[in-house]
Amino acid sequence: MKTLTNNAIAQAIHALSKDKSHSEQADISKKIVQFLFRRRFLSKAPDILLQLRNIINKKEDRIIVKISSAEKLSEKTKTHLEQALKKRYSAKEVILDENINQKLLGGIKIEVNNEVIDLSIKNKIEKLQEYLIKSV
Amino acid sequence: MSHNSIVENLKKEIENFSLQLKVEKVGQVMEVFDGIAKVSGLSDIKSSEMVTFSAGQIGVALNLEEDAVGIIILGDFSKIKEGDEVKATGKILEIPVSDNILGRVVNAMGAPIDGKGIIKANLSKDSGPSAYPIEKVAPGVVTRQSVDQPVSTGIKAIDSIIPVGRGQRELIIGDRQTGKTAIAIDAILNQKGQNMICVYVSIGQKDSKLRKLEARLEAGGAMAYTVIVSAGASEPAAMSYVAPYAGVSVAEYFMDQGKDVLIIYDDLSKHAVAYREISLLLRRPPGREAYPGDVFYLHSRLLERACRRNAKYGGGSITAFPIIETQAGDISAYIPTNVISITDGQIFLETDLFYKGIRPAVNVGSSVSRVGSAAQIKAMKKVAGTLKLDLAQFRELEAFSQFGSDLDDSTKRQLERGKRSVEILKQLQYAPVKIEHQVVTFYALTKGFMDDVPVEKIKEFEAGLIEYSERYAKIFYKEIQDTKMWTDKGEEQLKKAIADFKSSFAK
Repeated sequence: MKTLTNNAIAQAIHALSKDKSHSEQADISKKIVQFLFRRRFLSKAPDILLQLRNIINKKEDRIIVKISSAEKLSEKTKTHLEQALKKRYSAKEVILDENINQKLLGGIKIEVNNEVIDLSIKNKIEKLQEYLIKSV
Repeated sequence: MSHNSIVENLKKEIENFSLQLKVEKVGQVMEVFDGIAKVSGLSDIKSSEMVTFSAGQIGVALNLEEDAVGIIILGDFSKIKEGDEVKATGKILEIPVSDNILGRVVNAMGAPIDGKGIIKANLSKDSGPSAYPIEKVAPGVVTRQSVDQPVSTGIKAIDSIIPVGRGQRELIIGDRQTGKTAIAIDAILNQKGQNMICVYVSIGQKDSKLRKLEARLEAGGAMAYTVIVSAGASEPAAMSYVAPYAGVSVAEYFMDQGKDVLIIYDDLSKHAVAYREISLLLRRPPGREAYPGDVFYLHSRLLERACRRNAKYGGGSITAFPIIETQAGDISAYIPTNVISITDGQIFLETDLFYKGIRPAVNVGSSVSRVGSAAQIKAMKKVAGTLKLDLAQFRELEAFSQFGSDLDDSTKRQLERGKRSVEILKQLQYAPVKIEHQVVTFYALTKGFMDDVPVEKIKEFEAGLIEYSERYAKIFYKEIQDTKMWTDKGEEQLKKAIADFKSSFAK
């Protein structure tokens, strides 16, 4: 028997519950939990939920952006970033997940899905180190 | 260098440095085991793309699954943890190449392991790219040319009966301890002054053996034109899997300069075993002998890269000597049959012959060369034709000879000739014989000059004859060197020299 992947389950849940009324939704949710319990998938629930969130975000053109910086970003920079990211990923909505990481030394690091745009000082120093070692 | 100039240099380098911003594709390690990493993310990765781990190791993506990527780790995997970042590079795995790699021992990633320091890249930009991808599609039909130049191995049994041409793939197959590597090493040693670059790929061999081999090549002056690519027995299977492809990439680098290259894969049975290990760990379905389904393609795509290119496409050639180790002479096992069908012929080595004292233990009956005879020089073709016939008849009659006395004269003569032929084909290790010396020896043998020399004195006779003829049959040697064939004049002189030598040898 081919095992069900978490992604496949999440897809199925999404297909089932979209465009449904509130009361129907509750019924479906109950059935889903029962199904997960019966097939012993409950332990995988966190991952399935994560996948489901990704699917919904994708459907609604929403992206979650993890931004790491050494210091707290100003509101102005944030709106600026949001605009740029909306354009780049052609998304309607951008959710910023801010993190403070002193180790970056300065600059920012942007993570969207599998992509990383590293603009931190730490990365620049590492690249410079690589370059200097290589050119000898 | 003063402190100031160091600072100045550093300043200059830093000024030259420009950071190129780019979007990187990353993933996270989900699990690591036995040299394999399962990585999530990396959504746009290509098959056999190179990735880098945050701890510095390099990996190759082999399995692209729905929500994970199976990656083989080239290097120490003990420092990779769950959750580590994995970066895609967008490149196929490549190996650094330069002219300075000659005479060096490198691992499957092209890093030196002989303790002689770093291998400098080519300084001039026009000498081609400084790195070659390890996987490349073999040269196409239009770029190729038929094999017509000989590879002189210096081994009499091979050069005469199983000749190999430049661009050919000739399998060396036999049990353990039958002298497979010895043939390869002799072939490398004999390439001195023959305008040939040699690449020796050692797969899963003992490091002590490699050390000995390197010393041997060094002593014979062969390291000057040789590169050794090694994936030792203690390194992960992924390194063994990559090594032959890395080796052929080095060979291609030299071929692209129009040079002739000889590459030896020692041995492909261990390569197949390493690939089987990787495949099973990646949970690919096992097939016959537990090898995965694409084990034929594994070797065919490697050996197809051996070729002879026509002058229009830059010339050059890669001659491949893959080696296969059989178990108890079983050549019908999976990997031997595969590689036999891929190559253009095979050299069979047998334990029985080896212990009978026939060394190299080549079974001339079952060894073949499918394309090499077109490349043999004319003089050799002439003498080897008779030799082949003599040996075939000898093998047929050998069984008879057990019954002893009542044999007719012609049978007896053939038996005696056969015994001498077998004796002549024996050869010491690390003692390659020049092609013109081979021609003289075989000429004397096939024209019947050795028929009345006692079998146990044949070796002595051969050595003496070569020395004598070199002095008294100079025309013959000159003709062979210049036109690859003798004329009546040279033949007359050689005949006389042999007869003279014989009369003095008898005394």
